[in-house]
Parts: sequence; C-alpha cells; structure tokens
Amino acid sequence: MVDIQQHMTKAKDFGLDNGRVPVEYYTSPEYFKREQDMIFRRAWLMVAREEEVAEAGDFIVRDLPALDASVIISRGKDGVIRAFHNTCSHRGVALVCQERGNALTHRCPYHAWVYGADGALRAVPSEQDFPHVDKSKNGLSRVHLDTWNGFIFLNFAVEPEVTLSEFLAGLDTMLEGAPFGDFPFYMQVTDEIECNWKNLVNAFNEGYHVAILHQKTLRPAVVPKENPHLHYLDVKGFGPHSAGTVQRNFEYAPTAPVLTWVYAQMLPTSAPDKQAIAEGRAGFYEHPGINRLKIPNFGTETITIFPNISIQPLANGYLFYQFWPISHDRMRTEVRIYSRHEPKNLREEFAMANTLAATRDVVAEDMAMCRLQQIGLKSGGKMYQNFGENEPLLRMFTRDYEAYLAGGGLSPPHAQAAE
Amino acid sequence: MSVALPTQFEFLESFAATWGDLRTQNERYLKRQSLPYSELEAFHTALANRLEEVFSYLDKFPADALPEAEARLFRTVLGLTEASQAVEVFGQSRVPYAPFPHSVQQEWVGYEAH
Repeated sequence: MVDIQQHMTKAKDFGLDNGRVPVEYYTSPEYFKREQDMIFRRAWLMVAREEEVAEAGDFIVRDLPALDASVIISRGKDGVIRAFHNTCSHRGVALVCQERGNALTHRCPYHAWVYGADGALRAVPSEQDFPHVDKSKNGLSRVHLDTWNGFIFLNFAVEPEVTLSEFLAGLDTMLEGAPFGDFPFYMQVTDEIECNWKNLVNAFNEGYHVAILHQKTLRPAVVPKENPHLHYLDVKGFGPHSAGTVQRNFEYAPTAPVLTWVYAQMLPTSAPDKQAIAEGRAGFYEHPGINRLKIPNFGTETITIFPNISIQPLANGYLFYQFWPISHDRMRTEVRIYSRHEPKNLREEFAMANTLAATRDVVAEDMAMCRLQQIGLKSGGKMYQNFGENEPLLRMFTRDYEAYLAGGGLSPPHAQAAE
Repeated sequence: MSVALPTQFEFLESFAATWGDLRTQNERYLKRQSLPYSELEAFHTALANRLEEVFSYLDKFPADALPEAEARLFRTVLGLTEASQAVEVFGQSRVPYAPFPHSVQQEWVGYEAH
C-alpha cells in the first residue's frame, strides 16, 4: 500500500521558497506586454491536434489573442503540416475566414490572390502590374511548427531558441506513446472573462481549492477521505513543465436520477471505468509515465505545459485546457473534452451533452472565482499573494515566469522529481 | 407554430414551450440561468425518472433524421442536461458567483448536435 503522506509534494522539496509573489504580475499592463514579448513569442505554444488536419487540404484557423495572431494550419498535398500567418501578401487581408475546412487553394476575397495549401503564391490577377513581386518569394508567411505525440506546437520567434523536444525538457519522454490519439472526438467550451490569465493557470495547478470551491460539483467524486485538501502527489518538474498525480474518490456512485441514467448510457469522461481498469484496457491508466506510484484510486495526472496548457488524462478520454491572455485583466479559456468517438445514438448525445454541461459548470466555478480574485487584486490593498507549501506548482510557475521575463527560461535544468 | 409532442409525451408539453425550440447548448445554458429554480425543479420532477421511457421511444427513429415531433421531444429532453445541473448539483439556477447572464461558446466539433 502506498503511503500517500510521503508523496504529498511540498514546495520545499523543490527548494522553492518564493511563497510571496507580487500582485503586480497579475494587474500590470506593462507585465502583460513583457509576457507577450518574452514568453508568448519565445515558448512553443500548443495549439491543435494532428487529427484536426488529417487529410491533404484540411485546414484550421486559430486565433491566438496573446499575440494578436491569426494562424492557418494546413496539411499540404505532400502530407506536410505547415502554419502560416493568416495574411495576404498583397495588402494584408486575413484571407481564410472559415474556422476549418478542406481546400487545396486559398483565395483572398479582396483581389483574388491565390495560395496553395503549402502556402505558395499560385496566382495574381493582372500579374503584369506587380513586376516587383516575385511569386516564389511572396507565399504566405510561415510560423515555425513542430509536433509531439500528435500535438501541434507553434513558435513565433524569428528563429526558435530551442527545439520542441528541448523545450519539453523530458516531459515528452515520460509521456511518449501516451494514447491521446485514441480519443479524437471533442466538444469545446470557450469562455472569456475579466481576469488575468495566470489566475486560471494557478487554479489548475493546485487541488487545495477543490473541496471548497467545487464542493457541489467535483468534491463528492474526486476528493478521497485520506486526502481532504486534494494535495497533488508525486509532483515532477521538467524545466517549466510539470506533472502531478491526483486521486479520485472511488467510493463515489451517483444517486441523483439524471446522473445515474447518464452513467448507465456512457460514463462521463472523468469517471473511472472500473471494468476496463481491471482488464488492463483503460487507456492512459496503463502508461508507465502516468500514476508512477500505482495508487489504486488514481484519478488523473495533471500535466502543465508552460506557459498556458493543462491536460488531464482520464479513464475515458482527456481534458485539455488552454488559458490565453487578451490583456492584463481579460482572458479566454478554451476547454476541450476529448472522447473515443462521437455520439452513436441519441442516448449518447444526451449523456455527452450532460457531461459537457457538468464540465462547463466546473470551469464556470473556476472562472467566477478568478474574476473575483482579479477584483480583489486590482483594488490595491495587497502587494503580494501567498503561495503555500502545498502549492508547489504555483511557485514553480512563478520561478519560470520570472526566468522567461528576464530573458532566460529556455535552457531548462534536467528533469527533477521531488523525491 | 411548433408541432405537438408525440401523444404519450403530452405531459411534457408545457416544458416543450420553454425548451423545445432551443437548438444549442449555449441557448439551453442561458435559459436555465434565466428561469426561477421552481420551474427547473418542476421540469426535473416531471422527467428525470422517465428518461428510459423517452429514449426507448426515440430508439425507434433514425437519430440523424428525426421527424419534427420527435426532434422537438428530444430537444425538450436535452433541456434536462441543464435543469439537472441546477437541481441535482447546485440547488439553484445559476453557478454560484458566476456573472449573469453567463454566455459561453459550446461546440461539438464534427458532429451535428440537436
């Protein structure tokens, strides 16, 4: 039996003594500007899954509010996935207006300049009037793109300081082969609110609030008796990224009629499929990098990818959260609930809609609290927030946040574990 | 005018007036927030224990080509995904501390939800 007390990672186990963090980081427009330049233009940013552009010509457009960027991610006829700024070489129009689709050419709606799925400029109407425009040099502007385990990352630096693998600093090795590709279908929730984006990053980096803020939503299903403050276990650091093991209350069984009926149709993404676990076919549960302690009431491994991603592999899929700054006090959260397949019938559609509503309401609780937090922080009575010994990931994030703002952060130390 | 619900589900007709013409989860979430709790509770009381009966009936129809009466029935029933959050989880219409109205974008990617 694992003695979980021994594995409740404390900040001091990582030598993190930064228990007081300036409020200014969360309220100042100047800090937001520095974040844009020193973090979002330097780090690799996870933005999509390869399945979203599975076929030649498949494209998606992603808005990245942190950089005021609009990006086309497109799979060429040659099978290569590329990313481009969504801007025409003629007079700059954001030429692709659909969120996703399939097209082997993109035509600017202003003057009909035409580009291939590989970004090459193919046609210019009245071409003789542009003798100074060399078509071979005026394709769509590339954004650096690389992939890991099916995830697509972008880098907006002129030349990235490190490769994606160097950036991931060992997290990629630990999770190599984790079966994210087995869960291709997703529902998405997008919510914008008035608060600093790091309020949300922090909320997802500690379990301390779960029994309080989420007392009616998550607590019954998640918080086990032996760990009432849902302390994360076995926290592992990889440069600025991290992973920590989170338990679940395996004694939980719903009794309310709608939820009980939903469980009987199709288990919610977060609910453990006890039979699948017993038979060794429970997806992420079998991966050696997940639940290293082999705790029997394993809930999720909460994986944080700097600067703005949280991923939670679960029994029936995984949850993906991304936190985008829009300004110093406004942000957007994108949540994706990934499942094995789309609904196969109306019973499953009802069950998945119910899971969507339930997941959204949990996030709504976090968003609501982070908005109240921003009101409090802006009021100006406090110079510092206090991060506890039981909030090691908040201190770790702050350490790496400061390193990035100072121009470093990208030559990560070797992977470290607290034990 | 909306078509009537299938005869055996007439007991849901007053709730269909509230929920039956909403076509997205975004609309259903906003509707739930705007309703008095007693109304959500009445809906839950009428339907929560009869879901199996509704779906045994709907099982007989093609999911992607429901006749309008059955489609309206299903859309009404989907309202319970929101009402049940209020009744089974929070004991109030809205998520505590959330702004009102709280408008979020919810999307099924690659699936035509009802």
